[in-house]
Amino acid sequence: MIMEGKSIKILSAKQISIQNPLSEEWMESPLSYSEDYVRAVDPDFKQFISAGDARRMGKLLKRALATSLSALQEGGIENPDAIITGTGFGSIENTELFLDALVREGEQLLKPTQFMQSTHNTASSLIGIHTHCHGYNSTYSQKGFSFDSALYDAWMQFRIGRIASALVGSHDEMSPVFSGFVRKAGHVGEGEICSEAAVSVLMAESGDNAYCTLEGVRLLDNPSDDTIRQILADMTAGGIDAVMTGMSGNSVNDSWYGFLDKMLPGVPQLRYKPLFGVNFSSSATGFYAAACCLKKGSVPSVLSVSGKTVSCGKGILLVNVVEGRHYSFVLLKPVCGR
Amino acid sequence: MEELILKLKQEIIEVLNLEDIKPEDIDNDAPLFGEGLGLDSIDALELIVLMEKNYGIKLQDPAKGKEIFKSINVMADYIQKNRTR
Repeated sequence: MIMEGKSIKILSAKQISIQNPLSEEWMESPLSYSEDYVRAVDPDFKQFISAGDARRMGKLLKRALATSLSALQEGGIENPDAIITGTGFGSIENTELFLDALVREGEQLLKPTQFMQSTHNTASSLIGIHTHCHGYNSTYSQKGFSFDSALYDAWMQFRIGRIASALVGSHDEMSPVFSGFVRKAGHVGEGEICSEAAVSVLMAESGDNAYCTLEGVRLLDNPSDDTIRQILADMTAGGIDAVMTGMSGNSVNDSWYGFLDKMLPGVPQLRYKPLFGVNFSSSATGFYAAACCLKKGSVPSVLSVSGKTVSCGKGILLVNVVEGRHYSFVLLKPVCGR
Repeated sequence: MEELILKLKQEIIEVLNLEDIKPEDIDNDAPLFGEGLGLDSIDALELIVLMEKNYGIKLQDPAKGKEIFKSINVMADYIQKNRTR
């Protein structure tokens, strides 16, 4: 079990998003969009889920299962000790159907399948049932901080020695109706693509061909500048190649990351939201992108704010700021000896 | 009766999301649960909702579903005798 000073290996990371699914093609030839609302590009789910099993699953569940099974397969672990999932709003399309029926049918004659899928923890439990992993299973629903919360739980479970492996993911879908609500509520701003994402990451104490290592996770609510400065000093003490931010091109959102210019001057800044869009699982796509960069040893220019390619030899610090007050700092490092 | 059986099959395919199955694939006498279509207890709940919503039949005793949902023929026969809409 992991102890103080040891690191956690990221054995695999998979995504279904507005980029080509279950693939790292985005690093060489990213898909670009002119629309402000884009749904995920789905793979052929039949390679992961039988028609019989799939008939009760909405898109979010299929995506969660496909990324999870794919991550487990690549990472070479069939039964992780923990399944920890983040989601902003769970299976929102089925929730809409259920609520519509509730109104239409006068709270009578409601479909059990829609009810089952309208709960936020359906994805995590489905993954557990499908993979026969009956250990620690938890779901975090904290809007755009959901993945960060799930990751922090996994980090702590490793640190206290309760688990040696974990499948950590974050999954969100965006229906046409819901995307309108999300924009009105200000969760997706001007110039940002409202999108969908499912990301699964397999992490363990040991394993071959890891993408990178997870060196630290810190979550803070309304931290002072001094606290942020101290955390950045601690987490970058060994040097980093770049900082992966949640900047998107939206002025309000990007202003939350202004402290990085002052506190990490000269450190190349990266951003994943123009590539993967904005949704409640966005920070998971940032984690996935950083892990892929560390595996490859370089950051493609499409992620770089300056437009220049960045080499990866020391590590990437991920910074996510939600609503200007929830902060997460995650440090990923290359695997030693690569 | 044949018209009702076809309609019932179409409704079951839709409500249970049986994507790869066509009405002609369902044997009128084959068991709906276990063998045959291989439906389960959640499907039984869906069928109870279907019967009430589409035919006005409210099953007071869900245990009776085991007999009523034995096959398409049995189900159609029950609907024809008990429907209110």
